[in-house]
Amino acid sequence: MSDAIEAEQSFVDKFPDEARIVRAALLSSFLALALGAIFGIIQTLHRTGVFRGIISSTDYYTSLTAHGVFLAISFTTFFLVGLFTWAVTRSLDRPLIDIRITWTWYAIMAVGMTMTGVSILAGFVPALDMSADVLFTFYAPLQAHPMFYAGLAVFIVGSWIAGADWFRTFLAWKRDHPDERIPLQTFMVLTTMAMWYIASSAVAASVLIFLLPWSLGFIDSVNPTLTRTLFWFFGHPVVYFWLMPAYLLWYTVLPKIAGGRLFSDPLARVVFVLFLLLSTPVGIHHQYLDPGIAEGFKFISMTNTMFLLLPSLLTAFTVVASVEYGARQRGGTGLLGWLTDLPWRKPEFTGMMLAGLMFAAGGFSGMVNAGMNINYMIHNTIWVPGHFHLTVGTAVALTFMAATYWIWPQISNKPVYSRAIGLFQVVVWFVGMALMSNAMHAQGIMGVPRRTAEPEYSGFDYPTMFGGFEELNVQIAIGGTLLFVSTVLFIGNLVLTMGNPKVSGLAESLPPALSGPDDAPQVLDSLRLWVGIALTLVVLAYALPLAAIINRGGLLGPGVGTYPAWIAPTLDALAAAVTPILGAVGGAASLAGVIL
Amino acid sequence: MHIHAYEKLWLAASILLILLLIGSVTYGAVGPGVAMVSDSEPPIDAQALDEDDRFSEPRVEQVGDNEYVAYVVAYQFGFEPSPIVVPENSTVTFYVTSRDVIHGFEVAGTNANTMVVPGEVSKITVKTDDRQEYGLICNEYCGAGHHVMEGKVNVVSQAEFDERNSGGDDA
Amino acid sequence: MGQNQAAHASSDDVSGEEEFDPIGTLTLIAIYFVILLLAWVYIYYIEFLGRDLVVVG
Ligand code: HEM
Ligand SMILES: [Cu+2]
Ligand SMILES: [Cu+2]
Repeated sequence: MSDAIEAEQSFVDKFPDEARIVRAALLSSFLALALGAIFGIIQTLHRTGVFRGIISSTDYYTSLTAHGVFLAISFTTFFLVGLFTWAVTRSLDRPLIDIRITWTWYAIMAVGMTMTGVSILAGFVPALDMSADVLFTFYAPLQAHPMFYAGLAVFIVGSWIAGADWFRTFLAWKRDHPDERIPLQTFMVLTTMAMWYIASSAVAASVLIFLLPWSLGFIDSVNPTLTRTLFWFFGHPVVYFWLMPAYLLWYTVLPKIAGGRLFSDPLARVVFVLFLLLSTPVGIHHQYLDPGIAEGFKFISMTNTMFLLLPSLLTAFTVVASVEYGARQRGGTGLLGWLTDLPWRKPEFTGMMLAGLMFAAGGFSGMVNAGMNINYMIHNTIWVPGHFHLTVGTAVALTFMAATYWIWPQISNKPVYSRAIGLFQVVVWFVGMALMSNAMHAQGIMGVPRRTAEPEYSGFDYPTMFGGFEELNVQIAIGGTLLFVSTVLFIGNLVLTMGNPKVSGLAESLPPALSGPDDAPQVLDSLRLWVGIALTLVVLAYALPLAAIINRGGLLGPGVGTYPAWIAPTLDALAAAVTPILGAVGGAASLAGVIL
Repeated sequence: MHIHAYEKLWLAASILLILLLIGSVTYGAVGPGVAMVSDSEPPIDAQALDEDDRFSEPRVEQVGDNEYVAYVVAYQFGFEPSPIVVPENSTVTFYVTSRDVIHGFEVAGTNANTMVVPGEVSKITVKTDDRQEYGLICNEYCGAGHHVMEGKVNVVSQAEFDERNSGGDDA
Repeated sequence: MGQNQAAHASSDDVSGEEEFDPIGTLTLIAIYFVILLLAWVYIYYIEFLGRDLVVVG
């Protein structure tokens, strides 16, 4: 078979079982990307008023829920679990402990996301008595069908098992290599997952203790501020959960593609530790304009948030320096002349670099989002989607797509169908996002709200600032269309790649860092310590606000209703469905009785 | 641990930047006096607003020398009162609450912007300038009719304000 | 493989390996820093504080 005689073994040659699950996870991720992009283009054309013929304005929110959940939760997380499985196996150079466990968590996650996805998409079908038009933030007292919450819980549990799978594999490795430093990629996986356990515990609690029982009719009401706060306890760190796989690629893969190596391994570790510590005690910055939360808590959250800029700013330096090193190895000279000596024809390189550039721009709008009182200007305007389409929508998404051109051949032994289309695709994404995001930021400053099917109002006109409202709408529509085209090219290229014959010689290795792990203080690797500190910071940041919120509104809220209430119709439907079945069963039983 | 000199320089610059950002926000709070909506108002029963003397009849009221309060109720899918009429060059405090789900209260193109959460009262005080009509929009998704949820905040001359209030109900 | 020009033996490098000075990176990131500062000053002090209906209480 593929016992490549001379050629170095690729990942799939060495670890065929792991490669299969990585491929499965990435394909799930890209399915979500494709669905998300369809809703993306629909809503872009709808809200800009360019074309409103596909869905009605009430269905806009079904579409937006699907777009948010499929892209922000499904696309990102499935890619992450695939990438992390690859990274752990590759960097430990050993298979996972038990591939059946691996398939189990993959299946659990897939089932969970299918449940949630079906409950959302059912909203398009009036005949089905099911919908979840609550957007990906599912703020109570808007209520989704119970299956929406149940699916999310299942999905999260699946991701927990995935984390345990990697931890166990690491521990097994540790027994064989007691004195070695944790390989960098595994270190990144473990710190990310530690953060994920802390962060997702809050949303799991919110879903399992409040939202799911409430949607099933076991409790009458919930405290909207409490469930909202628990959501954002999770909602901010989740952005780092999206980002850290991209960082893993920027730190460990990008330098190699550039022809060099990572500038500093110790600093990379410091950055991931900082994310573990600071990602969670900041979520209240999404609630700067919430009533019922004291200004002091908001200020503390802001200072934490500002310091969370630090690891990203450090990353900018380390990653660019690693790329510069590569360029100089390739003969680059001059203060900036080396920029021309980089492999710009490689889609994986150009894609990641453009993603990084957009992240730098997103850094600015992120600073504004973090700046407590300036939130009055941009809160819930379309500035905010403008911001996160730069971060998760490009820094993360484009990095993932670019990395796919590099990683897919190694996990399948199939060369990319067309690297030229790949290059074109990443550039189109960049141009499309530049247009869309820029216009969204500009409209946001004018006060145009996010999350609305028809942002034009009858009673007033927006002030003209950076171009008129209509003009910016056209920019958004053109940008969104380019993004959609880019996604189609990506998916098409990948599908054609899958049809390619297998070849050998596609292996890639990753060089060690310029300043290696031995330069890193040992304490950086003591995960227990960092998790302990992270938990302490979380308690410090959240104990008082949560106590105050519960104290004000009670666990179940101050007299708040339910919109819409699912359980009554469900019970009725159930009764309606069960009665004929019972009748049939009864009939069959009596028939059987007669015959026997 | 060995850190390159340039990287140390960048670390220092980054920390400086962070302090500058925190400094700006603090300046905004103490200089121009920008205050955050907070927990100053006690919680309220969202389903019994008609028993609350502030929100049973949403309205604008004069409470002092050139000081006004506006009691506003947000609901699926509108605001009450509509329009909200306040005099120019005055100080207006908005008390906004919701009768059903979470909404937003955004005076388009200005800094008056807050979440509206059922069970809580959002209190924001602003100073009005010259006469102007502003659009009021709900900027948080609140259900299928979210996009039709709009209102107006009309800043009118003192004379016009007095005329309206003497002619109409003086609750 | 071309020897990079910026590299030189660093004085405090115990391992004795030659060190690499990312001067291009420093330049780029300094430009970024200046852009961030200017953009922040504009958006906070001019755009935000210059608007109508500043919330003061
Ligand atoms: C085909 C490319 C894309 C297009 C055309 C697109 C378009 C849009 C538009 C116009 C909105 C704003 C809708 C509104 O607030 O009314 C939006 C929201 C959003 N997008 Fe995208 N987007 C794309 C890709 C992505 C990607 C790759 C991600 C993340 C990985 C993403 C995540 C989100 C999220 C989380 C929201 C917010 C949903 C909400 O407010 O509940 N989008 N998108
Ligand atoms: Cu956040
Ligand atoms: Cu609304």
